[in-house]
Amino acid sequence: MSEIRALIVDDSSVMRKIVERALRQAGLDALVVHEAGTGAEGLELLKAKPVDLILSDINMPAMDGLEFLRQIRAQNLANGVPVVMITTESSEEHVKEAIQSGAQGYIRKPFTAEQVKERVLPLLKAA
Amino acid sequence: MLLNGVRGVVGTRKTGKAEPPTTEERKQTMAVSLRESVQRVADPRNLDSSVEEVFRLMLGIECKRESASPPAEKESVTSVVGFGGLLSGACVFRCGATTAVKIAAHMTGMEFDAIDDTVKDGIGEICNMLAGAWKGKVPELSANCGLSVPAVITGRDYNLHVQSPEFQLHHVYRFESQLFEVTIVCDGLQ
Repeated sequence: MSEIRALIVDDSSVMRKIVERALRQAGLDALVVHEAGTGAEGLELLKAKPVDLILSDINMPAMDGLEFLRQIRAQNLANGVPVVMITTESSEEHVKEAIQSGAQGYIRKPFTAEQVKERVLPLLKAA
Repeated sequence: MLLNGVRGVVGTRKTGKAEPPTTEERKQTMAVSLRESVQRVADPRNLDSSVEEVFRLMLGIECKRESASPPAEKESVTSVVGFGGLLSGACVFRCGATTAVKIAAHMTGMEFDAIDDTVKDGIGEICNMLAGAWKGKVPELSANCGLSVPAVITGRDYNLHVQSPEFQLHHVYRFESQLFEVTIVCDGLQ
């Protein structure tokens, strides 16, 4: 797979590193990662840098991941770019809300690199 | 009507005819079902399997419940994630500095000499995932109980005190030679 530019949004720097490692283990060797610690930072990055994939936590202070997702759509940013939510919230209601807000994928924490591969690679191939 | 093993009342409102429950009645039935399911919510096996799952998947290490108490360390790290909604309370993760540093090393693949922001961040995330995994074991909680962002406390000679909790689970676990404690405190079930 050619170079993939991923935006990882999570208030935990450790979790951002874990997600990046999982993406590399999924076979995305030519990976360029942009990190954001808040939804607002993520929006600013999207205005400045094109990306091919967005992975975002939901439970974040100030602007949660769902609001971040709604803002991406409202501000017409990253059109056609797959968004995958990575979160501890796993109920059907949360998944439904994320999908309704515009997410294409959902990964529950804790996760394995294999799960990241299964959810992310098909989205990148389809994009 | 039986819902989640709890007998609810449907069809006696105003007209005496069978009517579907109102939103308020559904909320009340859900609340009653959770209160009466306290033993299921407080099942200690849920906590054990949550801890084992988080450590196996995120750190790649096996972790088992232990009867011994962790040794007192000069410095410890405590992370707290609050529960709100149908259940109010907290998930509390506590370990000594040596254990915290090892957990962060497993999570990140980096080495740490002491507790720094990355170690604190890692312990906060572990607590967050434990809280999420634990509430995910009970479907009513999974959908109707929110999590706060983690708060992390470091220092010496401090204790956590909760007044008259509804129930409390306190377990000690071991990975490699390291011990840590996980506490679930429930101070209210709606």
